[in-house]
Amino acid sequence: MANLNIDSVKTRTFDAIVIGSGASGGWAAKEFTEKGLKTLVLERGRDVVHVKDYPTTNLYPYELEHRNEITYADKEANPIANRCYAYREDTRHFFVKDEEHPYIQEKDFDWIRGYQVGGKSLLWARQTQRWSAYDFEGPARDGFAVDWPIRYQDIDPWYSYVERFVGIAGNKDGLYTLPDGDFLPGYPLNAVEDYFRQSVNKNFKGRHVISARCAHLSEPQPIHIQQGRVKCQHRVLCQRGCPFGGYFSSNASTIPWAQKTGNLTLRPHAVVHSILYDQESGKATGVKVIDAESLEEIDFFANVIFVNASALNTNLILLNSKSDRFPEGLGNDNGLMGKYIAFHNYTARISAEYDGLLEYRTDGRNPAGGGYIPNFRNVDRQETDFLRGWAATFGAGRSPIRDTSGVGNELKNELLHDSKWSNWRVHSHMMGETIPKEENRVWLDTDKTDKWGVPLLHIDVDYAEDDWQRRKDYYEQMTAMFETAGFTNIRTRDDGRRPGNDIHEMGGVRMGHDPKTSLLNKWNQLHLCKNVYVTDGACMTSTATQNPTLTYMALTARAVDHAVKSLKNA
Amino acid sequence: MKVEVINRRTALRRLLYIAGGTLLLPACYRQSGKETIALTHLVIDEEQENLMAELVETIIPASDTPGGKELLLHLFVFKMVDDCHKPEDQADFAAGLASFAACSREKMGQDFRQLTTDQRIVFLESIEEMANEQVKRFYAITKRRTIQGYTNSKYVMTDLKKYELVPGRYNGYFKMG
Repeated sequence: MANLNIDSVKTRTFDAIVIGSGASGGWAAKEFTEKGLKTLVLERGRDVVHVKDYPTTNLYPYELEHRNEITYADKEANPIANRCYAYREDTRHFFVKDEEHPYIQEKDFDWIRGYQVGGKSLLWARQTQRWSAYDFEGPARDGFAVDWPIRYQDIDPWYSYVERFVGIAGNKDGLYTLPDGDFLPGYPLNAVEDYFRQSVNKNFKGRHVISARCAHLSEPQPIHIQQGRVKCQHRVLCQRGCPFGGYFSSNASTIPWAQKTGNLTLRPHAVVHSILYDQESGKATGVKVIDAESLEEIDFFANVIFVNASALNTNLILLNSKSDRFPEGLGNDNGLMGKYIAFHNYTARISAEYDGLLEYRTDGRNPAGGGYIPNFRNVDRQETDFLRGWAATFGAGRSPIRDTSGVGNELKNELLHDSKWSNWRVHSHMMGETIPKEENRVWLDTDKTDKWGVPLLHIDVDYAEDDWQRRKDYYEQMTAMFETAGFTNIRTRDDGRRPGNDIHEMGGVRMGHDPKTSLLNKWNQLHLCKNVYVTDGACMTSTATQNPTLTYMALTARAVDHAVKSLKNA
Repeated sequence: MKVEVINRRTALRRLLYIAGGTLLLPACYRQSGKETIALTHLVIDEEQENLMAELVETIIPASDTPGGKELLLHLFVFKMVDDCHKPEDQADFAAGLASFAACSREKMGQDFRQLTTDQRIVFLESIEEMANEQVKRFYAITKRRTIQGYTNSKYVMTDLKKYELVPGRYNGYFKMG
């Protein structure tokens, strides 16, 4: 029996454990396995194998039972998931259903989750912008949160490293606020997006409209072909999973890459309960897992543990990793774990019409979605009553005009022939920075657990007054830019979106210099338990305005490099 | 009656395209029953099904290309109302459908199915001014779903206005013809 037991421990022992298989966990898996470490990736959901497990990917609209509409029963059962823009009949199998994984909303909060191999990397909006020096210097300069322990130059080479493998389409725009990367060719703006770019450039100093940068293969390089990925085919059905690997997901890219090394063990249906801590060595020794199906409890062991469970779940796991040494959660002596949760304010939209350039329309589909306006507020100096700023999307399009008032042959003809086209309709939505605040926090319920015995998470996160100041500025400035461009019928709209629905939840296990005021150091190690690294959204000290996934991936690659060097030196 | 059964079998084969899956097939084909399609909330008798077939045919008539009846848009309307509408809508739809025939008799002196095509169109165009809210609602839902079913049908997306699953291109400066 003793031998059996030893053998069992041996088979459950790895060099590295990665919790989560989304964008950042997939990167940790790729880096560790490439560097020769036997790596266990724990995923709480089912396996999703690239192409094979994309059941809707090649369906025509008429092959979807409800033509891509969600049924009334589904809407009633899953109000949270249904508030996500990407939750449709063709994608719903990649989303967590409300009842499967409850949480406690102290205030309205939409927690959008994808529990499967690949996580939300299957579902993301694929917008990828680097942070700038301005963003990393923000908290120190403006006196909020704590100072980032890293600067732009620390992450710059890792951005390049990740960009080359992922494949990012973008132009070299030469902007301080949005540094250029190692890009594939960008997707060009259309006629009116381009016109607006010129108008803004001419009339508003320091403001820019650029092609949105996105994780699509506009011109695949040998490194992408080696991954089995080919050129993006402009389907723009990405959230079904892409049979071409045209956009980056863990499933299409990092996970199969890690598998090819022979060093990866991927274990789906593995719900992480907590991280095991050994007081004597002062290190984490492994991870306690509950098998999602059998409910069996299993411990796995490794020298180093990466927590990439998605921002709030990473908080949950660490808070639940209690020991005599850390009764409030692993590495949480200062009591700040779970606090300073932040996100992006996506509540504002603006639309208008344009009667020029009617000799053009668009043909085909643009995977980048259109244009992007990097933040220009408070960059060189503080110029408004609120801190920081906002970025925005910008898009333009035309659609056929159909008069459906009639019936009979008249109606039939209207539906079959695109004889008339609308003028240009332009639209934008805001991506506002939010300031991390201590009262925006998550914590564990002391009583209620899910069916795997893991405590339920309380989420207490809300907008603040400064979010509405930033939004007011967005409305005013965008209106001025639209008016100057000669756009008409300008309409602003608060879309009433709840916090969380931006799907950019960040923080709770923030990076910083000082163990008294932060949880992670500049290498993403827990200050107080250095063989545990956090490189998903939980590590973020502030939010900037950029879509965050590229930064998580770069931080992950950088942290794995550090972890492997540390192990070799030990 | 034999002819009717064969038609229904043909209809069922096409229903696979309409409803988009095989799940429906075992449950919906009941030779002795009144329904051609399995519905959870709506209760539709054969008379109503036939009326609906004429209604969608009036909205999208056969010409040199198929019309609503041949494309089974009446079943598509039922399916969508049954699965995707809230109970209040379903109640209005059912009540509107039930009083549709009476409305037609009152307004046009005959059952809808006995009217000529032109008379049917006159009747449908008069619905907006009617006092009966449920008939209005029923007709609005039916028309919207018929248009959706038509423009998203395999026939239209394959033979008339090709849907491109894989466009492979984007041109932001496409010159209007």
